[in-house]
Amino acid sequence: MAQQVLAPPRPKAYDDTFWKPISLWLTTTDHKLIGIMYMVTGVASFGVAGVFALIMRVQLSQPNLHVLDPETYNQLVSAHGVTMIFFFVTVFMTGIANYIVPIMVGARDMAFPRLNLLGFWLIPVSIFIYYAGFFTGGALNAGWTGYPPLTELKYNPGSGVDLWILSLAVWGVSGIMASTNFLTTIVALRAPGMKLTRLPLFVWAQISTSILLLIVGSPLVAVLVLLEFDRQFGTNFFTTAGRPVLYQHLFWFFGHPEVYIMILPGFGMISEIIPVFSKKPIFGYSSMVAALFGIVFLSMAVWAHHMFTVGMNIYVETFFMVMTMLIAVPTGIKFFNWIATAWQGSVEFSLPMKFAFGFLATFLIGGITGVYLSSVPVDTQLHQSYYVVAHLHYVLFGGSVLTIFAGLYYWYPKITGRLLNKTLGEWHFWTVFIGFNGTFLVMHTLGLEGMPRRIYTYNGGFGEEGWGTVNFIITIASFMVALSVLLFLINVVWSNRHGEVARDDPWQGNTLEWATTSPPPPYNFERVPPVRSHMPMREIRAEREGAASPAPT
Amino acid sequence: MKVTRQRLLAALVLVGAAMVVLALPALADQGGSGVSPFLPQADSPNGRNLWALYNWISLPAIVVFVGVEAALLIVVLRFRRGVRPPGFVPPQWHGHGLVEIVWTVIPLVVIGIIGVLSFSELQTDFTKRTDAETQMDITITGYQFGWRYDYQPDGVQVVSNGNNPTAMVVPVDTLIRIRTQGQDVIHSWWVPYLMGKTDAVPGYDNYTWIKPMKVGTYRGECAELCGTGHATMLILVKVVPQDEYLAWVKEQKVQASPTPTPKK
Repeated sequence: MAQQVLAPPRPKAYDDTFWKPISLWLTTTDHKLIGIMYMVTGVASFGVAGVFALIMRVQLSQPNLHVLDPETYNQLVSAHGVTMIFFFVTVFMTGIANYIVPIMVGARDMAFPRLNLLGFWLIPVSIFIYYAGFFTGGALNAGWTGYPPLTELKYNPGSGVDLWILSLAVWGVSGIMASTNFLTTIVALRAPGMKLTRLPLFVWAQISTSILLLIVGSPLVAVLVLLEFDRQFGTNFFTTAGRPVLYQHLFWFFGHPEVYIMILPGFGMISEIIPVFSKKPIFGYSSMVAALFGIVFLSMAVWAHHMFTVGMNIYVETFFMVMTMLIAVPTGIKFFNWIATAWQGSVEFSLPMKFAFGFLATFLIGGITGVYLSSVPVDTQLHQSYYVVAHLHYVLFGGSVLTIFAGLYYWYPKITGRLLNKTLGEWHFWTVFIGFNGTFLVMHTLGLEGMPRRIYTYNGGFGEEGWGTVNFIITIASFMVALSVLLFLINVVWSNRHGEVARDDPWQGNTLEWATTSPPPPYNFERVPPVRSHMPMREIRAEREGAASPAPT
Repeated sequence: MKVTRQRLLAALVLVGAAMVVLALPALADQGGSGVSPFLPQADSPNGRNLWALYNWISLPAIVVFVGVEAALLIVVLRFRRGVRPPGFVPPQWHGHGLVEIVWTVIPLVVIGIIGVLSFSELQTDFTKRTDAETQMDITITGYQFGWRYDYQPDGVQVVSNGNNPTAMVVPVDTLIRIRTQGQDVIHSWWVPYLMGKTDAVPGYDNYTWIKPMKVGTYRGECAELCGTGHATMLILVKVVPQDEYLAWVKEQKVQASPTPTPKK
């Protein structure tokens, strides 16, 4: 075949093992190796930011503790947020998409392999710049949102804020590169027969994510540059007369869509996993795609719901409230479609499916608390309290992190050729599910009782009597989450060498990545497989098994 | 055997749910206990209105929560591969237009109702009170790290610093218009048992109001990260009877100027 000629000649050792020469890792333009590097970087960030969270939980476990001084606490609370949002979830999602999307559409690599290489290597640079703050007199200490005037030079003379700005600017450029690359790959490099109406939903999720990041990435860099000009060149963009609120508008125009940049790929993974393990096609394919774009559109018109207490005209607030509530509709459609997909199915609760259902059960709570928060009057009570902390962790941990786990259990055999250990996986699932809910469910009540977020301690006295007990429970549960992540990491490392060998198609998948070997060769496919529906593997499997008629669709 | 385990699981879930439902009223509104599953009832008409709004939103929220979790549980219990006959091929549905329209429209109606309720509450309690309605004004200035309360027309000033806050003393059953200002960075004035929070932003004024319904002491805290002293920006509001308040004002004035100076 003509395609086979395109396969670059490489030493066999490069393809067969995970442990490749360092020179290859540093210079590779293979989307799969770059994807792995993104994912490893993401998981490392997850570990570091998780340790920050544990230290903060120890500090908060009892009233009036002084494990940390307030300045260190503020730096850790900021570093936890920045690392989890920018260096873990987004980076990991980019990584898994980098690995899977080209194979899913039947391409040999990303459209711009060298841009991909550059985009990835900007991430460690960005992380390095941010963390340099800890060694040059203190990192960012104003929360991951970095509101001025607190981040203006007058109130924050250290270099931590400058490094944060530079770091996120580099990160933003990297994200724009990755988005461009994804869109071009999906538009231009699809296999013959892979019409848009046959794209896997994970690919559709990646399209919507990339469009979103492409639109809001530049405003992020712009607003950060303006803030940096304020700090170093005295420009006064955000210093006086209500203009701190201008910063909030510009920041959240990026910041809220960023939430969806972190969750839409997860939605995509769930849309792949549930049909496979239910032995049914996805329910309402086109409404799933429409819902993705509904979310993309609405997410850019809701940013001011982070600002309901800054004092805006009530009609403006009403607009943002209504737009925010409307997001519940496409999200609800996705939810109901997922349940309908599993309904009446033959549902196998293997580990990816367990995590997918764990996601559905917990993300729901984040969605419901989101409706409370969208109501402006109610939000004036809940805003900036532990209720919001609980809400955002239900959508980011119960949402993004559980989908990441689901995706990893699902695609790990494709990436490494071995299955993750089942026993460790079961322990991982139950410890993370119980630990996570134990940590964040009770946190809602602290917010309702009036505990603000981002305080380094509380006195536990008048009106705060119950806070110590509740915080202590949360701290214990948070260590259970840490234990679960440890089990997970052990599993990932152990199974890579000793796990059960996976076949090419261990789950009877629907999409093209299961048509190739595990792990796939550098050029992905010996021969680009035919695509005749949005579940091409069904036909391919039927053909390979020599079945007379194609599988029911 | 499988059926027994299934029933056991279902029974456990039911018992658990029943316990939660029975425990809710006991847990609700235990001020300061840290375990209330509902918003505590506030002692100002506007705070109480949004407490009621919170409870109204809880109605559909609980229904959706129970409904969806129950559906997930049914999938786990009834559609598991383990309870399916070997070789079972499930129905290959690709979608259903009417069903999909139904679960698009119902959420739209629900959020429509929540939206209307929220908007009417906004109009009732979140517009600036007029001078005619207002019986008293307090300007609250947030600074690193404390609060300054300026009373008009009584001309009293209270400064509250750090972890041992000085109380903002106010008379009961009086509509007090509150103006918040930020002196340096953004702060947020929040006394949860009276009313939601209002940001104190440098550069412009924000307005809110309270009308305390009960005599008592209320705690609060700065709700916007404002620097190293953020956790120490505590708030104390002391609601006293009218006559006690007048006595307090007199005392404050004496303290502020021990030797009366002649008018210029």
